[in-house]
Amino acid sequence: MTTGVLMYCFDTPEVNYHRLAERCVAQIRKYLKLEITMVTNLETFKKIKPLGMINYKLVDNKTTNTRPYRGKSVAWHNKERALAYDHSPYDTTILMDCDYFVFSTTLLELANTKFDVMLHDRVEDITGEDMILGKNESTLPLVWATVTLFQKTANARRVFDMIQHVQQYYPHYQNLYRIRYPNYRNDYAFAIALHQLKLGNFIPTPMAMLADRVDIIDSDDEGIVFKYDDCVNFTSGQDVHIMEKEWCDG
Amino acid sequence: MDIGHLKQHSDLNFKVAQAKKNALERLRSRQLMAYNERLFQADANTINLVSTLKQHSQDFYVLDANDNPCHITDPEEFLDRLIERNQETLNAYHQLHQDLANKRSK
Repeated sequence: MTTGVLMYCFDTPEVNYHRLAERCVAQIRKYLKLEITMVTNLETFKKIKPLGMINYKLVDNKTTNTRPYRGKSVAWHNKERALAYDHSPYDTTILMDCDYFVFSTTLLELANTKFDVMLHDRVEDITGEDMILGKNESTLPLVWATVTLFQKTANARRVFDMIQHVQQYYPHYQNLYRIRYPNYRNDYAFAIALHQLKLGNFIPTPMAMLADRVDIIDSDDEGIVFKYDDCVNFTSGQDVHIMEKEWCDG
Repeated sequence: MDIGHLKQHSDLNFKVAQAKKNALERLRSRQLMAYNERLFQADANTINLVSTLKQHSQDFYVLDANDNPCHITDPEEFLDRLIERNQETLNAYHQLHQDLANKRSK
């Protein structure tokens, strides 16, 4: 049985995702010590610094989506994740966004259990300001696709086939589930697929998260220091999803 | 006590309360433990349950964190692992708690 991490990394005109991915890889190496496969495009691949043993899969990604970020609309290349089942060479895959940073071995514990698909259905804003969740955003039980563990089972195959179908007919499902968010978002596509198929396990503890208006002002391999409004705080030994995208730019 | 001083205390207490909340979330996350391909929370509830069942039988079933049944055939080993993980996480939390208490008393 093989276990590994699968990441998607596509630079956009506004965001150097490859810098986030470089940092993400360093954290995975320290805490998870697992093989890594990165799906990227040629343009981004050329910018990634040598990271040692990593499997690269080069694809021509779709470039048709956008998202709001700090008051602007920016490019968002997020549609390839629907193909993760086919892209993954592992029996157990930890599919991870390159803006999710591991500071603990918790994901190893999760990967050592039996499931088809497992992901977070709750988040914890570690500023305590509740900046993440809106109200009445859809009629759907929301999940977070940021970290998704899956095993090569028939049910997991069905989930990813369903995600591809949802992506293809997204406006229909968006309307059906009264989703307010105007653009294609993986969280919703995964949530719809799991809801339709009545599948999926949830990670029992919420995902620690920092909203995009929180700045990261310092970090080491054990944690980060963050700032919002006039407050400075830190987290260590806790995996965290950081929505600010420039903190690794140096 | 003037209002400026009270505000300082209020800000500090907010930060301490948030740090404590985050530390508890981290503790719960660290208490997740894989056993026999199932996922358990190494908390007081699980420890008490396993400890009680172990007194009646050396072979029993319990529900994991996702309500899946798990066959426990070596409760001694399972309980040892639960207690070890539980105390490891509580020890880390205790240290942070002390730091926060010191901050507050300054």
